[in-house]
Amino acid sequence: MSRKRGNSALELTKHGIHDIHGIHVASRRRALQALAAGACFLIARPATATPDELTAALRETFGERSITRGRVKLEIPRVAENGSVVPVTVSVDSPMTQQDYVSGIHLFAEKNHLPRILEMQLGPYNGKAVVSTRVRMATSQQLTAVAVLSDGSLWSAAADIEVVTSECGL
Amino acid sequence: MSRMGAARVRMPPSAKRGEVVEIRTLVQHPMESGFRLDNTGKEIARHIIESFDCTYNGREIFRAKLHPAVSTNPFFTFYAVASESGEFVFTWKDDQGGVATATQSLVVNT
Amino acid sequence: MKTQKFETGRRDFLVRTAAVSGGFMIGVNLSGTVYAADAAGTPAAAAGTPEVTHWIVIQPDDTVVIRIARSELGQGSFTGLAQLVAEELECDWSKVRPEYADVNDHIRRNRIFGSMSTGGSRGIRESQEYLRKAGASAREMLVAAAAQEWNVPVAECKAAKSVISHSSGKTTTYGKMAAAAAKLEVPKEPKLKDPKDWKLIGTSPPRFDIADKTTGKQIYTADVRLPDLVHASIVQCPVFGGKLKSYDDSKAKAMRGVKMIVAGDDWVAVVADNWWRANQALKELPVEWNTGESGNVTSESIMTFLRTGLDATDVPVARKDGDAEAALGAAAKVIEAQYHAPYLNHATMEPQTATAVVTDDKVEVWVGTQNGEATIAAASEAAGIPLENVIVHKMHAGGGFGRRGPHQEYTKQAVWIAQKMPGTPVSLQWSREEDMKQGRYRPVALVKLRAGLDKDGNWNAWHVRQADQSIFITVRPADIKNGVDPVNVRCFQDNPYAVSNFTDEYAMRNPHVPPGFWRAVAHTHNPFFRECFIDELVQASGKDPVAFRRPLLKGKKDLGVMEAVVKAAAWDKPAPKGIHRGIAVVDSYGSFSAAVVEIAVTNGTVIEVKRVVVALDSGYVVHPDAVIAQIQSGVIWGLSSSMHEEITIKDGRVVQSNFSDYRVLRLSETPKIEAILVPTGGFWGGVGEPPIGAVIPALGNAIFAATGKRVRSLPFKNHGFSYKT
Repeated sequence: MSRKRGNSALELTKHGIHDIHGIHVASRRRALQALAAGACFLIARPATATPDELTAALRETFGERSITRGRVKLEIPRVAENGSVVPVTVSVDSPMTQQDYVSGIHLFAEKNHLPRILEMQLGPYNGKAVVSTRVRMATSQQLTAVAVLSDGSLWSAAADIEVVTSECGL
Repeated sequence: MSRMGAARVRMPPSAKRGEVVEIRTLVQHPMESGFRLDNTGKEIARHIIESFDCTYNGREIFRAKLHPAVSTNPFFTFYAVASESGEFVFTWKDDQGGVATATQSLVVNT
Repeated sequence: MKTQKFETGRRDFLVRTAAVSGGFMIGVNLSGTVYAADAAGTPAAAAGTPEVTHWIVIQPDDTVVIRIARSELGQGSFTGLAQLVAEELECDWSKVRPEYADVNDHIRRNRIFGSMSTGGSRGIRESQEYLRKAGASAREMLVAAAAQEWNVPVAECKAAKSVISHSSGKTTTYGKMAAAAAKLEVPKEPKLKDPKDWKLIGTSPPRFDIADKTTGKQIYTADVRLPDLVHASIVQCPVFGGKLKSYDDSKAKAMRGVKMIVAGDDWVAVVADNWWRANQALKELPVEWNTGESGNVTSESIMTFLRTGLDATDVPVARKDGDAEAALGAAAKVIEAQYHAPYLNHATMEPQTATAVVTDDKVEVWVGTQNGEATIAAASEAAGIPLENVIVHKMHAGGGFGRRGPHQEYTKQAVWIAQKMPGTPVSLQWSREEDMKQGRYRPVALVKLRAGLDKDGNWNAWHVRQADQSIFITVRPADIKNGVDPVNVRCFQDNPYAVSNFTDEYAMRNPHVPPGFWRAVAHTHNPFFRECFIDELVQASGKDPVAFRRPLLKGKKDLGVMEAVVKAAAWDKPAPKGIHRGIAVVDSYGSFSAAVVEIAVTNGTVIEVKRVVVALDSGYVVHPDAVIAQIQSGVIWGLSSSMHEEITIKDGRVVQSNFSDYRVLRLSETPKIEAILVPTGGFWGGVGEPPIGAVIPALGNAIFAATGKRVRSLPFKNHGFSYKT
């Protein structure tokens, strides 16, 4: 059966980020090397990132700051035949005024080779906090968008994508 | 040297002051991730665009740091408030010293 | 009447397709209304009737509609998957009607039906738990609803054959309770039966798909008839990776019935009022291609490329136990051999076919697919229309074998052509020749095997160097770790033999020919390499093939299936005069199989396969007749590919064009097949592919037994053999 996911808030909790109430990134970085101890392979580097690596990337980027689920809309197709060209649109609920605006939008992948996909800087001169691009999804996984607001607060959304070609063969 | 292909920008030539205009950009680039394998299973060296920025009359209004998971021929859509007539300059830089630029004028009507 | 078409207006019609005995409704209206899967996402059978879990719809007349997410490719999934549900549901099997889970509904409901992928022999084994739980949950909901209505404890009620009864003697039916049951919460952990209590699993009720297929009522994609339907035939660049340069349509476009010429990056299609005219016009349409770098590739140059993989130093190691080199150095006897397998085409009886209609904001496709999700995603991406506005009508496929899963280029082509004719349905059907030349081929493979025997003939050293083409690199690159394709090393990396010094090295070599998952994938050629090489060790050791393997397979389920064929084929007694035997053992896709092939050879070159005995341990067996049928078809698949089939490359393109030069097994060459089911319980193995692997090496070993000639490459016809027909 395909991997069942809970709602995305719960999923992020698994990654070490808590839900809207007690939001902080897990304080302990886990040993990544242990994950790659596949006995059959001589080189221990994992081919894809792990949820722990996503947690580590979020910590490196945002430190101990809280990330709250909400205000961000992340649009990707629910399934993709071709994971190499996945259209993504991120919209943040923000007035984009001098006083209250989105200063950054970050995209992270849970199971790509590297968790970081893209970091964008915006400001009130953009008028609206909406960006679109195309990204690569190495396998079925969750995509996470984090928005940095001018008051320093962090908001996020997550969306699952099923890359159907990755379903075959085994 | 730059091995970047053509860059394309699509945005309206004019707008009313205060209007939010849509800017669509595309540059040809392999975005070779460094994780792909050649026909004998060896990794192909990474060659990606690392940064993209847009200035509006000299002021930066959009910047992106790209990692290998951005698709071939990076494409961005973003927005800008039409505040004054002037020039938008778009710059892409890759990890082998390649640079591509594009410019676009916007006439702002009051 | 199960198949009918009637029009209620020019642009307002209904097609009823008899995919199953109950049929399933597909209703479309090009002006925007979709009857079957309407905007609220209620598929046909559910309209107005309650869902008791998303898998089950129970109608007032007690009809139980069971939704099937996987595809019916002739392997019996409509019946076997429904049995899993019905076993726990305790419904009246005679009132069960399977239907495809609606793909669009599935997407809208956040992939509620799980994987729709139908490959890797995963249909039953990956669905069994959630489908049995769905049946058990629905039964508990129905019983709870009745208990509520009667105001009695649930424990005093029971269900059987779609009837709920109370200890007082009161009864009601599933049909009557379904509406109330549908409002109850779905139990999260329903209690599943002990396998010993199964009544339906393990029996062989008549299959839902067979009657219509036998009588010709079955509607396939090419049979879909829509108002104003036009037909397309296509030619793609014969050199893989090449592009369209130019074409001259002056003659073709003037031909009778031709409506349009459509071209893409690497293809040209003719659209006409019928397929014959489209295909005739395509033949009168000269095309020039930019063939790129691969225009000089031949089978010989591919072989040379593979050989570089045998010689390469510093290749990834897929498995290393002990020290094979040291043990080989110390061996009393070293045996070394190279084995090779060619490209093969799926050659499905129904060529690749898709029908599409595209309007401004909607696309609708009819496709025989192995994965409804791959089809909806391909149609969406080709049309540039969101998934929510794509309707997929899953048709039973006329053969899949791995061709119609991840590769959906024909679906995209149909959409691209239909985009040029908005509102007009387009049926794209590849010609047989196109299907032969544009496959996703079972990849080529070459191995070098070295083994060491000690002075007593015991096998204690084994070195494997594989050089072959990766499929995963094209569809699942993230799962290639450290340069090792995890599918291609199977049969070696996970081999069951207790050889203490073993190394498996893997050198990926990817020619330009597009590879695909061909039924049993690496478990077609790797078992041939492994089990025939072991037969070489057997000869060198002076032992019997079975006696040689027994100690090495001790404690493994592989031993059980080997003993089963040994018994059935009376291996421990001499073969009848003129009969020569080979044996092989292979586990794959979660199951264990062994085969004995018996042949007679006349004049040293004319082979007659007399009998094939296959034993299969798939853990549990849901529908024994379907499993036996899979064994029979697996034997035919294995014999056909190893005796006849071969795709060769010249000038960068496939040489073969039709069944005249891509021979498959004929009825007159088909032996007596004995299928032995030896399920040991406690696990769920696949059955679609596992019966194949052991057949090919068992035939190779029988050929050696009969002729003394060791055949180390496929197909066997290339070694001077012909077949008695």
